Amino acid sequence: MSDTAVGEVRQRIRELLVEVFGGPSFVGKVPDAVSLREAGVPSTALVALLVAMEDAFGFEWDDDVRPEVLRSIDSLAGHVVALRG
Amino acid sequence: MPADEAHDEYHHDLSYREGVPPVRTRQGVELYCESTGEGIAITTLNNFFFSAPFWRDYTDELARHYRVVSYDLCNHGRSTRLPQEPTWQEHTADVIGLLDGLEIDSTYLLASSASTQLARDVALAHPDRVRGLVLAGPVLGPQGMRRHRGLQRAWLRTLNDHDIPTLFSHMYPEFISTQMNEEYGAAGYLGLRESFLAMSTPEELNNGLTLAQKGDSSPELLTRIQAPTLIALGDDDILLSPTAGHELAALFPNGRCEIMPKAGHVPFLDDPAGFQELVRKFIDEAEAHV
Repeated sequence: MSDTAVGEVRQRIRELLVEVFGGPSFVGKVPDAVSLREAGVPSTALVALLVAMEDAFGFEWDDDVRPEVLRSIDSLAGHVVALRG
Repeated sequence: MPADEAHDEYHHDLSYREGVPPVRTRQGVELYCESTGEGIAITTLNNFFFSAPFWRDYTDELARHYRVVSYDLCNHGRSTRLPQEPTWQEHTADVIGLLDGLEIDSTYLLASSASTQLARDVALAHPDRVRGLVLAGPVLGPQGMRRHRGLQRAWLRTLNDHDIPTLFSHMYPEFISTQMNEEYGAAGYLGLRESFLAMSTPEELNNGLTLAQKGDSSPELLTRIQAPTLIALGDDDILLSPTAGHELAALFPNGRCEIMPKAGHVPFLDDPAGFQELVRKFIDEAEAHV
């Protein structure tokens, strides 16, 4: 998976986060590697984001996903890219 | 489930209110406390897994009719941290100190799981301060608490052998109903896990689960509680069957049991509105007989 593809996944996750959480200016300021929770994204929005990601990327989350996967835009994108192989 | 529905379904605003003055309850102890609404007081009791803000989503309707008071236990959340985990007696003293600090003469106590033991203790020690009890998914059993404590011991072992995410994976299928397990799916599981992780540290859970296994487990204690008591029980609560729930309620001189269809061990998670309606009906009827 190329850097371009990873970047596209990150960008799509940002778009989904805006859709479920609102505040495009806020989401735009959240760095890729920063904890979403510490950045102020509530767990409510996170769940909605997870559901939206299932639809957008065509996969289903697994209960065994470690918390660190859900930590940031970077880690979420990394999970999607890893699933695509 | 569409994303916008998921946002509503899993809504947990766990943020603390800023600028809320803590309430001093005893020497060296101040508790974070939120008070919402007016009128007859309902005081929520955390079960070591919840924080005060967690209750908002499950008491919002009640707060339209009553004064809902939620607080963080000593050594938990934003309340004072002491070197030693408080005893049940000290937690009881904190409840009374909280009521004194808020100038509340008497209150209904709304407890869930492990905190139903605290509700029992407050009602026994200070019957004049308790208007009634709402025990949701109680750990009190009609014959004792051995099964509940065995489960708490297993949770504690999982926590100490692993970590909070592993504890959550152990607990989730036990305390969440079949219906919620199916409806929420993996995304809901992961989201609730995030809330769970945000509300407690390993030390808090260790201390809470350790304390939960202590205290008198005799059902006979319940026969001494004169306050009106509602057992709110999910019929999918693996810790207490509907039959046992009715037996438990019958131990209280003024007890009743309401069964919430398909709900689990924390029945208000399954049906927040239905639960609050049950509580409101219970309080209104209890007040009509005062």
